[in-house]
Amino acid sequence: MTGELAMTEPDQGPANPARRRVLAGFLTAYTASLVPWALAQPVAAPEHGAFMALSALLAGRRSLDAGLAARLFDALSAMYPHFTADARALLAQINQQHIDPAQLQSTLDGAHSPLAPLPRRIMRAWCLGLVGEGEATKCVAYENALNAVIVADVLKPPTYAYGEYGSWAKPPLAEGVNAS
Amino acid sequence: MSAPTSAEVVVIGSGICGSLAAWKLATRGKQVLILEAGPRIDRGRIVAAFRNSPRKSDWMSPYPFSAWAPQPEYKPKSNGYLVQAGPYPYPAEYIRVVGGTTWHWSALAWRLVPNDVRIKSLYGVGVDWPVTYDELDPWYQEAEEQLGVAGLPDTGSPRKHPFPLPPVAEPWAMQRIRERLAPTYTVVGNTVARNSRSYGGRPACVGNNSCQPICPVNAQYLGINAVEAAKAAGVKVVPNAVVYRIEHDAKGRITAVDYYDPDKTSHRVSGKQFILAANGIESPKLLLLSSSSKYPNGLANSSGMVGRNLMDHPSNSLTFYADEEMWLGRGPQSPDSINTLRDGAFRSQHAAYRLDFTNISQVLGVTEALIEEGVYGPAFDQQLRWRAARQLSVKTLLEVLPNPDNRITLSSDKDAMGIPKPEAHYSIDAYTRRGAQAAREDFAKIAALLGGTGLRYTPKGEFSNNQHITGTLGMGDDPTRFVTDRFGRAHDHENLFCCGTGVMPTSATMNSTLTGVALALRTADHMAPLKAQAASTDTTREAVSS
Ligand SMILES: Cc1cc2nc3c(=O)[nH]c(=O)nc-3n(C[C@H](O)[C@H](O)[C@H](O)COP(=O)(O)OP(=O)(O)OC[C@H]3O[C@@H](n4cnc5c(N)ncnc54)[C@H](O)[C@@H]3O)c2cc1C
Ligand code: SF4
Repeated sequence: MTGELAMTEPDQGPANPARRRVLAGFLTAYTASLVPWALAQPVAAPEHGAFMALSALLAGRRSLDAGLAARLFDALSAMYPHFTADARALLAQINQQHIDPAQLQSTLDGAHSPLAPLPRRIMRAWCLGLVGEGEATKCVAYENALNAVIVADVLKPPTYAYGEYGSWAKPPLAEGVNAS
Repeated sequence: MSAPTSAEVVVIGSGICGSLAAWKLATRGKQVLILEAGPRIDRGRIVAAFRNSPRKSDWMSPYPFSAWAPQPEYKPKSNGYLVQAGPYPYPAEYIRVVGGTTWHWSALAWRLVPNDVRIKSLYGVGVDWPVTYDELDPWYQEAEEQLGVAGLPDTGSPRKHPFPLPPVAEPWAMQRIRERLAPTYTVVGNTVARNSRSYGGRPACVGNNSCQPICPVNAQYLGINAVEAAKAAGVKVVPNAVVYRIEHDAKGRITAVDYYDPDKTSHRVSGKQFILAANGIESPKLLLLSSSSKYPNGLANSSGMVGRNLMDHPSNSLTFYADEEMWLGRGPQSPDSINTLRDGAFRSQHAAYRLDFTNISQVLGVTEALIEEGVYGPAFDQQLRWRAARQLSVKTLLEVLPNPDNRITLSSDKDAMGIPKPEAHYSIDAYTRRGAQAAREDFAKIAALLGGTGLRYTPKGEFSNNQHITGTLGMGDDPTRFVTDRFGRAHDHENLFCCGTGVMPTSATMNSTLTGVALALRTADHMAPLKAQAASTDTTREAVSS
């Protein structure tokens, strides 16, 4: 298996639309070993493959919302014309060099890689719901961005009611408030 | 429907101070018109705009900008409206819309402490106020009943009557902070204009944790509630009316004001009495703009003090991780403080301060930090939860002394309507800096008591601002030293009154709006006193809906 996505693509489009496209098909043995839980993650369209694989590696989540993934992909590829190609290149580099996600940013920064901004762009999209820089920034998600989802057992995103008056006086992880 | 061209009382600015003064005058039978520079806005749209905003930590981002009534904005880059003359930046924020800046306040509604109004006599610094704390008490009470203020019985500011509302339920995190800092520090619940039960036709708080920039449910009192109360009492409000000149007659009495509509058509409104309530920056700007051959330095300015003695509450802070899970972000944003450093003999040497614990959710800031650090993979999830649960922040609100060199002037730069922009001249003196230094020692003790790690102090000499614009229309008995008298009347103009935090002659350490409102109600009472037999504030207290 190589890092070439086109070659690992399990289902190339309309010829067999009923077949479910999953992330496993976009990963090499190395990357698959990093996110074994995400192998069955659905992938909406073939060009999303590298983005979804990077998303799984960077966010380290068991599953990623496929609908949000499609929205984020559309926003990122509209904002950055080379997004799809860059995502493929970065995934290939991770596969070839066996880069641990924990070391990814420092590795890219250290090498002054042109791909260095990419992980942050993907993480900002997933975790803050933001795509783009400075005045061009767009908000694509808020209450379903990962930073809200990760703490959803304890906090509501600001502007959403926490609960009935005074409920915040109780310990945050008391029974019934937090299942984890 | 054409806008009125005259009124008994013309109020400039529909913020909380102008609107409550207008409300009170209307309840005394006056025919009142409010001219407001900005547009009407809708709460639901502001909530939606916040949720869709790419800048969630910028409280201004959900609010509309109107070219005819510009407001200072700093993100993503400064719009240059409040011109900075230095040497220290003064990035004040305010909102020019119907209801004014309290749309995005956090509703801390503290009284001063009695010694705040006598710092010259007691500590040899600043100036004494022309009113005593006891004289303020009934007006504070009326303001608290109108706003629906919730507070603990003993917060260091004496009162003759109880708070209208019981204290707001204390978030768990604050309970833990209070317990862990005792007995070294006494942590108390803040006095807030936030409903701890339904009051004034508004519901109890449900803990949205977005008091800044917008309370979605109307549990926190805002200037727009004051506008609605004023309208219900018969006050007329004209939005999008940018007052650009105040006219006077040969005797110095104010006769009319002129305003532009968004098309820059000029309109004139005459009146018998006038209230200037456009806030601590726009009000002095308007006085300076209204210069004439009789008053070449601007109206109300024979003392030369209009716009001078600009004060606020600079903050330095410490952010750190506690050794237990606190989870800020549950309940209202600003629940607790340490109040004991607001007063003491040290005030002869350095600034007093209040220490304020934030309860703003830390999730946004922690997420940004983790992405910046490149923390990816399963560590992201773990770190986000670890840090968001433990990160705490405590900040000072430091007293600033009046200094005539700190001031608002007219810039040579003009806004889209051709009106000069305000220009801020500001510095932070050694008195305030020494206060900040003293507070760093408290920060260190607080962090130690909470098992703090990862301590991040504001760099020495750096301060953030709190938007408590005071001093620019300072009140005092001496017309050669102060702009307004003890009732907020301009010394130079018999029928011109100033309402707002700008009339406060010193800043003390407490968020200034409640004091501004109390003084505004007192001004309105002075303009239209009750008939002698009923002269008691209790009459208007009855008018409060609860
Ligand atoms: C983020 C933030 C949080 C805050 N939190 C607190 C807090 O917790 N507690 C506290 O005490 N204070 C707080 N403040 C400060 C508080 O908002 C102000 O003290 C308060 O709004 C002052 O009321 P005001 O009526 O004097 O002025 P404003 O509310 O500013 O209202 C002035 C009005 O005048 C209008 N106006 C201006 N120019 C003209 C003109 N030329 N013609 C006609 N109309 C004009 C404006 O459009 C505006 O509507 C906070 C401020 C900010 C920015
Ligand atoms: S916590 Fe929520 S409901 Fe309560 S005042 Fe703040 S924004 Fe309003």
